Amino acid sequence: MHPFHEYGRHITRRHFFARGSHALGWAALASLTGSGVLRGPNIATASDAKPNLAHFPGKAKHIIYLHMVGGPAQMDLYDYKPAMDRFFDQDLPESIRMGQRLTTMTSGQKRFPVAPSKFKFAQYGQSGMWVSELLPWTAKMVDDMCFVRSMHTEAINHEPAITYIQTGNMNTGRPCLGAWMSYGLGSLNEDLPTFVVLVANPTNTEQVQAISARLWSSGYLPGTHAGVSFRSAGDPILYLNNPPGVPAEIRRQTLDGLKALNELNYQTLHDPETETRIEQYELAFRMQSSVPDLTNIASEPESTFTLYGDDAKKPGTFANTALLARRLVERGVRFVQIYHNNWDTHSNVAGRLPDQCRDVDQACYGLIQDLKHRGLLDSTLVIWGGEFGRTIYSQGGLSKENYGRDHHPRCFTIWMAGGGIKSGTVYGETDDFSYNIVADPVHLHDFHATILHLLGFDHRRFTVNYQGLDQRLTGVEPAQVVKALLA
Amino acid sequence: MRLFFLFSIAMIAGTAQADDAILYNRDVRPILAETCFNCHGPDAASRRADLRLDLREVAIEFEAIVPGKPDESAAIHRIFSTDPDEVMPPPNERKQLTPEQKDLLKRWVAAGAPYETHWSYVPPVRPALPAVKNSNWVRNPIDAFILAQLEANGLEPAPEADRRTLARRLSLDLTGLPPEPAVVTAFLKDESPDAYERLVDRLLDSPHWGEHRGRYWLDAARYADTHGIHFDNFREIWAYRDWVIDAFNRNLPFDEFSIEQLAGDLLPNPTLEQRIATGFHRCNITTNEGGVIAEEYAVMYARDRTETTAWVWLGMTMNCATCHDHKFDPITQREVYEMSAFFNNTTQAVMDGNIKDTPPVVMVPPSEDRARWDALGPEIAAAKKRVDDRRAAARTEFERILSAGRPEDLAPVGSPEGLVFHAPLDDGTTDQVAVTIDGQVATTQASAALAAEPGHVASSAYRSAAGVTLEFPAVGDFDKDQGFSYGAWIKLSAADQSGAALARMDDQNGFRGWDLWIESGRPGTHIINTWDGDALKVVANEPLKAGQWSHVLVTYDGTGKASGVRVYVNGTPQGTRVQRDQLTSTIRATTPFKLAQRSTQSRLDGVALQDVRIYGRALTDGEVSQVATDARAAYLVARPADRRSDAEKDELFAWWLEAKDQPYRDAIAKLAALQNEQDAIKARSTVAYVQQERTEPPTAYVLFRGDYDKRREQVQPGTPAILPCLADDLPKNRLGLARWLFLPDQPLTARVTVNRFWQELFGVGIVSTPSDFGVAGELPSHPELLDWLAVEFRENGWDIKKFFKLLVTSATYRQAAVTTPLKLERDVQNRLLSRGPRFRMDAEMVRDYALAASGLLSPKIGGPSVKPYQPDGVWEAVAMIGSNTREYRRDSGESLYCRSLYTFWKRSAPPASLDIFNAPSREVCTVRRERTNTPLQALVTLNDPQFVEAARNLAQNALLRGGDSNDGRLDYLAERLLCRPFAARELVVLRDSLDGLSAYYAAHADDAEKLLAVGESKPDPTLDASTLAAWTMLTNALLNLDEALTK
Repeated sequence: MHPFHEYGRHITRRHFFARGSHALGWAALASLTGSGVLRGPNIATASDAKPNLAHFPGKAKHIIYLHMVGGPAQMDLYDYKPAMDRFFDQDLPESIRMGQRLTTMTSGQKRFPVAPSKFKFAQYGQSGMWVSELLPWTAKMVDDMCFVRSMHTEAINHEPAITYIQTGNMNTGRPCLGAWMSYGLGSLNEDLPTFVVLVANPTNTEQVQAISARLWSSGYLPGTHAGVSFRSAGDPILYLNNPPGVPAEIRRQTLDGLKALNELNYQTLHDPETETRIEQYELAFRMQSSVPDLTNIASEPESTFTLYGDDAKKPGTFANTALLARRLVERGVRFVQIYHNNWDTHSNVAGRLPDQCRDVDQACYGLIQDLKHRGLLDSTLVIWGGEFGRTIYSQGGLSKENYGRDHHPRCFTIWMAGGGIKSGTVYGETDDFSYNIVADPVHLHDFHATILHLLGFDHRRFTVNYQGLDQRLTGVEPAQVVKALLA
Repeated sequence: MRLFFLFSIAMIAGTAQADDAILYNRDVRPILAETCFNCHGPDAASRRADLRLDLREVAIEFEAIVPGKPDESAAIHRIFSTDPDEVMPPPNERKQLTPEQKDLLKRWVAAGAPYETHWSYVPPVRPALPAVKNSNWVRNPIDAFILAQLEANGLEPAPEADRRTLARRLSLDLTGLPPEPAVVTAFLKDESPDAYERLVDRLLDSPHWGEHRGRYWLDAARYADTHGIHFDNFREIWAYRDWVIDAFNRNLPFDEFSIEQLAGDLLPNPTLEQRIATGFHRCNITTNEGGVIAEEYAVMYARDRTETTAWVWLGMTMNCATCHDHKFDPITQREVYEMSAFFNNTTQAVMDGNIKDTPPVVMVPPSEDRARWDALGPEIAAAKKRVDDRRAAARTEFERILSAGRPEDLAPVGSPEGLVFHAPLDDGTTDQVAVTIDGQVATTQASAALAAEPGHVASSAYRSAAGVTLEFPAVGDFDKDQGFSYGAWIKLSAADQSGAALARMDDQNGFRGWDLWIESGRPGTHIINTWDGDALKVVANEPLKAGQWSHVLVTYDGTGKASGVRVYVNGTPQGTRVQRDQLTSTIRATTPFKLAQRSTQSRLDGVALQDVRIYGRALTDGEVSQVATDARAAYLVARPADRRSDAEKDELFAWWLEAKDQPYRDAIAKLAALQNEQDAIKARSTVAYVQQERTEPPTAYVLFRGDYDKRREQVQPGTPAILPCLADDLPKNRLGLARWLFLPDQPLTARVTVNRFWQELFGVGIVSTPSDFGVAGELPSHPELLDWLAVEFRENGWDIKKFFKLLVTSATYRQAAVTTPLKLERDVQNRLLSRGPRFRMDAEMVRDYALAASGLLSPKIGGPSVKPYQPDGVWEAVAMIGSNTREYRRDSGESLYCRSLYTFWKRSAPPASLDIFNAPSREVCTVRRERTNTPLQALVTLNDPQFVEAARNLAQNALLRGGDSNDGRLDYLAERLLCRPFAARELVVLRDSLDGLSAYYAAHADDAEKLLAVGESKPDPTLDASTLAAWTMLTNALLNLDEALTK
């Protein structure tokens, strides 16, 4: 008899629970491993023990977070300011600016001339949301969406600002939202990571900002909760494909041999890590077929591409990542983070913003309608937004036809849809200059608290002890769930 | 888990203490810290009712605690209260006390409520060795401490591991590499009683020791090859990495090792090495993002340096007290800023400039050049002095020659070889221009009367003017593969003039040809097939002075590259900017050579020209200098003495020295040789990022909530009050701080350091939170052992090799890794060390192991970081456009096979295969890596070309050197991967696997070819491809064995 078959699994309940005896270890095991390990044939009770730390049943089981890197200009897209037309090229009144901190890119400017949006706006839907002409597809679905025009942050430069909205802290080294979700809710699938990152290539690349793996790091949470970046070119997951000349059957054969040898080793030393390693190799093998299946969009009917736009056929486009996001969520991935770059319009708003909007407009529409038709929208929270807003005053040259806008942390617009969010909502208000918030401010910590609430967490109690402190996504300052946004 | 540790610690303590004794540090403080200190602890800002429970006298003063009288103690009363308005903690607090905890606190107060200073702030003293039953097992004092605790827990140590296992473990722990099979064999055969110690010594002497120890240290130092933020551009700082390796190899004692890194620049007369060491605190991440506010980042940099120092040497989480006083440890916010003041006095600018050598930096010649480099400075100074001396001495001789008027002494040197065209342009008064073409004198008719101008090398010069053309059809017809040179004396009439001074260029045919080009006064050249795709363009950085004569000459060496073009002004090569550097096709133009214009355009009018020369080869530096001076000298010599000004006489003297005076020429040649040597070393050198102190004394500000723009009081450098004082005789700067870390009564440095070393070998430290020895950190699993080791390390002069030898020669370390059900129950994490250390190797070791086993590993130590295999797009996916680390261009040859600590580390996208195995991003200090076990790791070691290529090379070696039988070849593999032969039951699996693979590749030759083509190295052509492919896949699987990946 083959030694492998002689060997019976030696996992006892004791050593199993010893592995999972503290919460971190438990969730760690559950994340990348999927629940497969927990459902091994001899562990009848394991699947009962869901690695779910939620405080109450949440409505959102998945999140698709569409981050517009660079900071979209809210007054050119969603925050309609008709009063600005008569302020063209007049200085921003000091009563509005109130000595506020500026980036050193414009702090040296002698003047701060108002640049009214050159784009036309109209009202849509039951909610009567004003939407710019640049977003005709989005305009069609405002009643599926919830707009927050009163987001604010303290960060005014990209690196700290992106880090802040992703991790709740401007300094690096903290877990991001996706890692928190993976840690708190664990995996829903056996063949894919819990938290996936997709980086979309913008059509226009005039002012692309840096994004780095630190943004999807797990910080002080176990590394298994870090995002796994799927690539648009080459293997979607690094090293996924077998070497040339190695078909799946040969890989299977070598893994069988490897497994048998590892089992023999386990029999000698009884190291539980060896058992885990055997399982991880099996999961790797399953991923080798599940991931290509995921990214093989050729199986989609033509109607999908009518919905998302033809761009969705092209790897690396925003539309393509949006479609992949739906396919990931369908397969049980918890958190899909998409980055779309080049929204940093310091100059040439007229030339660039239309390109940016074209990249995302129809795809966002397609994604939300698609989720809706598949019955996934109720359990999937979709978030769209940047790391800060932009100034009403022009950076650099100003004409009626073209202008630039600097970073502006004091107000910006985001939208959400699905996942327990109240659709058809328009929340928060800014002054005529889209400079200061005049009603219902939502700090990014409030935004995080609200998201956690949708996932089933009280943000104050969803903590992990690190360096003796109970660390949480929403930091130490008070933060509130914005109840008005909840369905 | 925590309870488990407490339990086990209670067991050790049980050997010395009565079982029911309550110890504050062990039993009480953890409860108070967890539940009470948040509102009644060190942080003044969050304190309620002014009550502190962390200070005994305050607790007693407030009658919260009445020692010996729990019933009168308000604290005890309130924790047992059932009144929601009274009970503590308040009912809405998340942290509540368990009945056992309440009871314990009550008993503690009843026993008199004794407090203790937190253990880690009490200087360690060498404890007595505990008594043990099985004293035969004890090899050195470490074992007594370990065994006492094992016995208290009813466990026995594991048997000693076999020699093969020990050889592998030792080699991996001391060098990071598997042992050479010969080393294992020698060890097996060595019957001397000190065989083990000798193997240890041998490994400690290996140059790979420094690489391996250095790798751990580089995590702590957050060393990487890019700046980190925004553009994340290249940072040339590897000299520091090499210093670390070398410091471990020469066993620099840990105190000196530390002081040099923190403050080497402040030591008296610091050596270059000591300055390189200060790169430690230049490894932090920096920015150059437009729009940032400098002060914000200056604060961030100082904070990073403070936190890193505190983590690495003190095990203190100072980062927790930047916004408020520490919640647990007796560190105030003010003290953190006093510490940060030490690092707040750098001359380094906030913006890194996106350059590779952000100042302050020093030049670092390669070590083999170091002695010569040091000698060159004085030698060059002496050579310069000889030149100056000769110049002074020669003046009299020159005056004598000049007055004697012997023409042969002052005759021009003459033109270098290869003059193909010469137009003196020494008579601007006629439209007949005399020239020499290929040695033949000819006269050319200008298109109109020339304009005259006072000359520089003859009395009258030619001045270009609109409407006048001067052309020579057969002149200057070169192709791109020919070297040639062209130049003239030129005087511009305006500073920003642009146009062609000399040209054979067809501006109607893609600008084919060449020119001597003036661009806004800057001399340069075009050499063109078709502008602008197939052309060279090089322009000098400095403009010519308008209204002044300059000699301009361009040489081109016929290589088709911009590097083959040099621009000279007055005989001196100029710094240039290359604007085009792509020339592949002919440059021959059919239009004539013209002065002051191209074939039809780009006129350079109002410019005076003389002495136009074209050579049919590239002149050397010396020849150009000669051409630039000779004509002028001849002109001055010819002039009557009474018509020479003093300045002209000086000019003539300078010419005479360089052209005629042999002693001077010899002195100059000697100087030039030395300078060339110096330049050559400079070109081979790297830079080191160093720390440099401003002249004023350091200070910092307390920042409200840690915000850079909310300054409160100014503070001076200082150390926390809980630790020994910064003695008066220590300077109040980084050097004082560094020395303070090594004061005899410093409680933390030695403990924290030995704990980290312990962690490197055993996987987990005696304190499992190596950066936090404070109240919130984990308590030590073996407190007495930790103190014993700390004292031992310090008293042995901080000798690192000696310390590691102590660790690895213990019986504890030598145990087999085998476990038992009882041990899995009582010691699942092996914190009690009931068996030998066994854990998955770190990222770098996994890769190095495969390279070493396959024979591919490069033995090279140090040097610039390398770029081995990495999947396409890893950098591109995250990098900014314009970042110079956006495009990953992998190296070839030896650089593919260097040890992993030399892999180029881009912070925003760390080396992909290492990252997957938990290598940190190196953005911040890391003193403990995670160790996960994921499917992504399996994919790396199965599919990464680096591993596939290593498998193929190892398989090939097995086929070539493992004998003719399959079992012999399998043994060869086992020896290299596992340091042991395969067992019979393993061979059953392997033969079966090999049969399957062989059958497949025998039937699929094309797949075999494809597999063998992975990697840059080539397979041995004498081997049968399908056999090698089958063995490659078998080896690929073996490289993935749990045993191969595990120490």
